[in-house]
Amino acid sequence: MSAPSIPNLLSLRGTGRGRGRGRGGGTPGGTSAATGSSHDSTIQGTDTDAALSRLSAVELGYLSDPFATLFTGGQPNQPHSALPPPRRLPIINRGTYTRTTGIDLLVDSFLSSTDASRTRQILSLGAGTDTRAFRLFSSPSSHTNISYHEIDFPSIIARKQHIIQTSPSTLSSFLYQKPNPSNPLNSPPHPTSSSFSFAFESDGPSRNNNNTLHLHPLDLRSFPECPLSRFDSLSSAHPTLIISECCLCYLAPATTTRILEHLGRLFPQSAMVIYEPILPHDPFGKMMVSNLAARGIVMPTLTEYPTQQSQEERLRAEGGFTEVRSKTIDRVWEDWVSPGEKERIDGLEGGLDEVEEWKLLAGHYLIAWGWRGSGMGKGLDIDVSRGDEGGDGDDTE
Amino acid sequence: MSDLDRAIAQLRACRPIPEAEVRELCHKARELLIEEGNVVTVNAPVTICGDIHGQFHDLMELFRVGGDVPDTNYLFMGDFVDRGFYSLESFLLLLCLKVRYPDRMTLIRGNHESRQITTVYGFYDECLRKYGSANVWRYCCDVFDYLALGAIVLGASNTLPGTPAGEDVEIEVCNPDQQIMSRFLRRGRGRGAEGSPSGNGNGNGVTNGVSSTSPTPANTGPPGSGASGSSGGSVGNPAGAVLCVHGGLSPLIDNVDKIRLLDRKQEVPHEGAMCDLLWSDPDEIDGWGLSPRGAGFLFGADIVKVFNHRNDLSLIARAHQLVMEGFKEMFDNSIVTVWSAPNYCYRCGNVAALLELSEDDAGLGVLARSNGDVNRSTGGVVAGPRGVLMENDLEDQVLPGPARRYRVFTAAPQDSRGMPAKKPVADYFL
Repeated sequence: MSAPSIPNLLSLRGTGRGRGRGRGGGTPGGTSAATGSSHDSTIQGTDTDAALSRLSAVELGYLSDPFATLFTGGQPNQPHSALPPPRRLPIINRGTYTRTTGIDLLVDSFLSSTDASRTRQILSLGAGTDTRAFRLFSSPSSHTNISYHEIDFPSIIARKQHIIQTSPSTLSSFLYQKPNPSNPLNSPPHPTSSSFSFAFESDGPSRNNNNTLHLHPLDLRSFPECPLSRFDSLSSAHPTLIISECCLCYLAPATTTRILEHLGRLFPQSAMVIYEPILPHDPFGKMMVSNLAARGIVMPTLTEYPTQQSQEERLRAEGGFTEVRSKTIDRVWEDWVSPGEKERIDGLEGGLDEVEEWKLLAGHYLIAWGWRGSGMGKGLDIDVSRGDEGGDGDDTE
Repeated sequence: MSDLDRAIAQLRACRPIPEAEVRELCHKARELLIEEGNVVTVNAPVTICGDIHGQFHDLMELFRVGGDVPDTNYLFMGDFVDRGFYSLESFLLLLCLKVRYPDRMTLIRGNHESRQITTVYGFYDECLRKYGSANVWRYCCDVFDYLALGAIVLGASNTLPGTPAGEDVEIEVCNPDQQIMSRFLRRGRGRGAEGSPSGNGNGNGVTNGVSSTSPTPANTGPPGSGASGSSGGSVGNPAGAVLCVHGGLSPLIDNVDKIRLLDRKQEVPHEGAMCDLLWSDPDEIDGWGLSPRGAGFLFGADIVKVFNHRNDLSLIARAHQLVMEGFKEMFDNSIVTVWSAPNYCYRCGNVAALLELSEDDAGLGVLARSNGDVNRSTGGVVAGPRGVLMENDLEDQVLPGPARRYRVFTAAPQDSRGMPAKKPVADYFL
């Protein structure tokens, strides 16, 4: 199936923009949900989809993430040993890059604007195979005193914990499991014991940076019967950044409202970042809803919060955030990615073939963020002036 | 039944033909295409189509809506391959039809008819998957190098057949069932149009009522298409022709003859006139601008109007850009984008369109009629008292476009006509 004889034609381009690219052979992109699988596993499958998209973007040079291979079946040292990872189209790679970079920027702003000598919490809902904590802990900027919490289905948490423990070279150099008698190694967490968490300590480049990673098995739908306050390691006293990267959109609106209200009570000094699709009612949005439904993926909140405005209002009304901002992914690319970086990205695969399609797709996803409490605003009030003209995608309404 | 007819029948059923047959087909096609100039002359009537992108079932829908070959004369403006799952079948069918009916089928090159682009956007992978080797991809790429870069349509009529007597219909928009969605009459000089027509933006298809025959039709154009000014109709020019090109204009090309001088038989270069013709886009700017695509340029209304005037063109038809409504006229109807891939990438929810130009009854081409028709009574021909046109006169001197019928259509149902169809999986950011 592979064709090693095909020359890398991008290298023929002038100006030396071309970059070698590991071709993935003939594996078609996209993963389809197995028929007859439960809704849960379908939704969990979207995490695999995201992990493969991330790997595609990493392999092609969009993102730098040495941990991307950990969660896609390949071995860290031999990423091509198993099936070659699917190569996503440039439009998807650019989207993966933009979304990751946009959220990274907000996380970085949060960490930079809070007191680094005291604990800062990051709480990632439905984190799945996300590698942000690893990237953060191993980054040269070496933020300190981060207490990073990930919440997901027990089975996902168990798998992640297993991968962390069995990835000696990639992770164990800076991440090791906290010795904790109540957390016996190699015993999978009991699905119902929601307070049972894994904790890892980071020993980053600067040593003693006091970063910890906590994995909490919890089905978010069990709110508020299983409140987060059960997890001892989470404290209401610390400034907290809550991240929902395509997580809350899979839950019922009533549930997400409960979660937002609960978080609001729990963390008086906090910020929240939501990444979700929007605009389900225009032609592109209708097709998106119908295509995802064909894969068994339903996003109940999409109709509840269909626009940029309604997403902002949600953060305000349900999350209790006093200041709220938002940007479509299209605007994140336009406003937050520097010209030099844009040129680098476009050079990787020769640029996009269809700009209108990008504006359409990227205009249907947004990052919304809000904050409340003293000292939270100075880092997170990132420009929105150029985003105000936004409204991407509404040309199809 | 000849081998070629057999291959056509097989491809119409969306089944690839054997590698050896592809090789022979491509060889024949090359012999045919090598004789064509860089700019092919095509006589009306002709049906002009935009991007196909391997959406085979939608190509079949296009033939259903526009009429079958050879009953209908077709001009495809490139981007036959990539993105869709059936680039191979789509391109080979079009190529078979070209070889079988050379005078009824015109294929010009799009920016995706390139070795480099097809390795990124799917056609290469598809060939590999379907044949186990890259040979067929190589044969096809060799054909790409011989495709013409543009076409000139001559002899298109100023009037649409079947329109009511006494009404000077310039533009008619139909749905796939031959129902008229809207009509736009020619307007006299100095009567500003409120907007440029375009297709119905309803992704569910064509739901407009029948026949708006009002002389001042409602603006159905999408945002950004609100061009104003005369739609022409005041200045007759017997040579008004339609230039068809995939992308658009080039700062290196100020007249059509310069296109004819290019050495086209090569991979699409990364810059230069040939690249620009396949990559550029019209935009609401003055003059030339940098393209966000990283290849080609953006060009404004002034560029198009000067170019059309200098080359006695009444219209430029091009493809290359997704238009949710299927087509979009810009710059006082001096340029139109035609997009023929409905629900592009099985994801975009757009409708598609094709553009029909009918044959002038008198066989005289796009001639100004001197029958005292009120709307064109000024009759100021180019050689009038004003002498040579200056650039700022062009606003008033747009050549009358040929009468245009757009047929708007939606994506074919995937299980249609018993053809094998892979259930499309469109990627999203999950």
